[in-house]
Amino acid sequence: MPQHEPSTLLSTVEIIHWLALAFMALVYTIRLFWLFSFRGTKDRQPPGNLKQSTPMKGAIYSLGNVAMPWAMESTRRGWLFYLSFVIFHLGVVAGISLAFLSSLDRSLLEIPAVSTVMMVMLGAAFAVGVGRIIRRIVTPYLRLISSPDDYFSVILLTVWFLVGVFAQAYIAGKLDNEMFLVVYLLNTSFFLVYVPFSKISHYLYYPFARFWIGRTLGHRGSFPYSRG
Amino acid sequence: MSVQVKSHKVKVMEELLAKKLTRQVVASLVGCVHCGMCHESCHYVLTNPDDPTYTPSYKADQLRKIFKANHDWTGRVFPWWVKASTPMTDDDLEALKDIAFGKCTNCRRCTFNCPMGVDTATLNRITRGLLSAVGVMPEGVRVVSKDQWEIGNQMGVLKEDYLDTLEWMSEELEDELGHDRAAIPVDKKGAKVVYAINPREVKYDPRTIKNAALIFYAAGEDWTMTTEGWDQTNFGLFSGDDQLGGICGKRVYEKVAEIGAERLVISECGHGFRSTRCEAPNWAGVDVGFIMESSVITMLRYVKEGRIKVDKTRNSRRVTFHDSCNNARSCGFYEEPRELLRLVATDFQEMYPNRAENYCCTGGGGAMSMSEYTPRRLKSAKLKADQIAATGAEVVVTSCHNCVDGLNDLIKHYGLKCEVKQLVDLVAEALVLEEPVVEEKPAPIEVVEPAARPAEKAAALAGRRILVVDDEEDVRTFLTAVLEDAGATILPAKDGDEALAVAMREKPDIITLDLSMPGKDGVEAFVEFRKSPETENIPICIVTGHPEFRKVIYDRPVPPPEGYMDKPVQEEKLVDNLRRILELKDRKG
Ligand code: SF4
Ligand code: SF4
Repeated sequence: MPQHEPSTLLSTVEIIHWLALAFMALVYTIRLFWLFSFRGTKDRQPPGNLKQSTPMKGAIYSLGNVAMPWAMESTRRGWLFYLSFVIFHLGVVAGISLAFLSSLDRSLLEIPAVSTVMMVMLGAAFAVGVGRIIRRIVTPYLRLISSPDDYFSVILLTVWFLVGVFAQAYIAGKLDNEMFLVVYLLNTSFFLVYVPFSKISHYLYYPFARFWIGRTLGHRGSFPYSRG
Repeated sequence: MSVQVKSHKVKVMEELLAKKLTRQVVASLVGCVHCGMCHESCHYVLTNPDDPTYTPSYKADQLRKIFKANHDWTGRVFPWWVKASTPMTDDDLEALKDIAFGKCTNCRRCTFNCPMGVDTATLNRITRGLLSAVGVMPEGVRVVSKDQWEIGNQMGVLKEDYLDTLEWMSEELEDELGHDRAAIPVDKKGAKVVYAINPREVKYDPRTIKNAALIFYAAGEDWTMTTEGWDQTNFGLFSGDDQLGGICGKRVYEKVAEIGAERLVISECGHGFRSTRCEAPNWAGVDVGFIMESSVITMLRYVKEGRIKVDKTRNSRRVTFHDSCNNARSCGFYEEPRELLRLVATDFQEMYPNRAENYCCTGGGGAMSMSEYTPRRLKSAKLKADQIAATGAEVVVTSCHNCVDGLNDLIKHYGLKCEVKQLVDLVAEALVLEEPVVEEKPAPIEVVEPAARPAEKAAALAGRRILVVDDEEDVRTFLTAVLEDAGATILPAKDGDEALAVAMREKPDIITLDLSMPGKDGVEAFVEFRKSPETENIPICIVTGHPEFRKVIYDRPVPPPEGYMDKPVQEEKLVDNLRRILELKDRKG
């Protein structure tokens, strides 16, 4: 049983949130059309090494790469960064779930175990976010390549995680101020509208980039790759 | 306040960029999150830890910025927010050239380490292509590309020199085998195999052609080389010029089709193999109807099918293998060279990391032709030098001519005690021929061609008058002793002025010329020799401790030298090279 009845303010913010989502979906669709408006490529050369790989094998390997930290030297050596990547992105999953469930089925978020998991995930992601902001500011090569959008995006998400912790605490009845959820949903709405114009939209392109490079290199036999 | 106007070149580049954008390229342009995961995968970064401009995403961002400013909505509306911008002046393009050509070898190591699947190497190649299209490129790349466009091969080898070299190699084989059945066939219609090579083999390393011919002969192959379309290398890959890339590929494909061969065998050259086998069909928009394979695969097949017999104990020194970036990361060519190496050598030691994770030899991406970046290249080569040293190998084997040059350079620079060979050399060395060979033992393969036997040695240069030009007395004495032992008469000179005076007076048969000398240096003297009607026909072999001057010499608006050797020279190699040059000259009359 919900501990709080949504106020008019909260209901309005929820509507804004759904509108923001619809906006994001629309812009994303346009973005995908835009991506596909560019010329596709064909590998005319015969397969490189069928014993070793095929385009499909390469593409699947490439897509699965995110879950194989041992595959790339960068994630193998930078396992701490990989771990932080996992935590950060689990935080994103938790944050999005929180935003939707808070209006679709808030009772789920009121289950103590779920609430605790959500707060831990969001809290951990917040900590990682802070670490990422510091890393971006203090590391010379990251400073060199970073744009205002890079800083803003990571700050936006880090703040979002923090507000998410409070919003979840409010839903779980540990805090008694609806404004936490209102701010959270407004933050989410802004996030949804901003994402397609920022680098956060990488997750839209990411599967395509990975699929295509995997397909190309799979055709040549160099993906999945061998190392020693 | 003056408004800055984009230069014409910049406008042309922007128009061209639109044509180069494919879905895959755009995905790489928009997919980077600037996470920095690729940073430490680059050999330049690892050897220049204090210079952030070597980080791969910074290099890719040079193109990304232009893309965002022209094609991305956020970049067009709020350019400062996403760092979108375009170069404005020709000076900006020069700065861009320094990054695209001078700070990246397009080795693709960062691509393999990017969690987002961003292909930084391809983006850098596109930047190079845009710059090349408006004539902004290192001089060496321009000269080599021009030769490939106009003469049909990247080293400007003339048809008669190429055919002379094949004939010379055939004669060498005849001397060794006692018959002419191993002679190199040229333009043999209906041959099953066409063998295409790197012009470097003609110019500097003809023993690789001879070794390949010996292997084809031993395997009983029905093969041929061709008078046209024999250069499998492709500077289009390095300059980013897809049109040149397509033309080079087509020249080879058309010749193979004309011969009617089933198979094109590509000699050991990483970028040549990648271009001819994997890229040029796409650049040229043609479907190739015959098999294309690396000579490594061919040799491995011969051994496995029992078509040739090898005795690995003939290669008993410790060897290690360097993966060419183009062969490995871009063509999936990981295991076959190792399999072959284990069959022809007894002591193979891997270097680490290897295969897809191997570091570039630092000579990739056309770097060997860009002498202005030599100090950077050699600095970044420290990593490779350490990798090699850790193996304790006496021989570094690689399947790439660029790598041979890159590795030789770094071996010299870092004082390593090893030499570089290709698999074709090791296979030829290990080859067991069913028939008796005239020579008592196989030719030592560390020399350009088989060393003259002692009796022949004294006669090798008998009666020849050689002008030896070097400012260092020790070197002059050494060269004089070696060449006199081979029967030559020596005319010494210690600088360019003296050399010119002696040459005018004495009309030597050949000149060995050092480049770096006080007073009139070797480059100036070389040009004057070539320009003077009295000396223009005297063959010149450059003998220098500065291999990076190669470009300077080959850029001169005069015919290139007949030979080019790096110091320290091996005695036999020197004698053999001079003998060969003189024989070719005699033949031409
Ligand atoms: S290229 Fe890939 S690894 Fe490098 S910064 Fe961009 S997203 Fe990260
Ligand atoms: S392609 Fe190679 S040289 Fe270029 S940035 Fe990537 S790792 Fe460095």
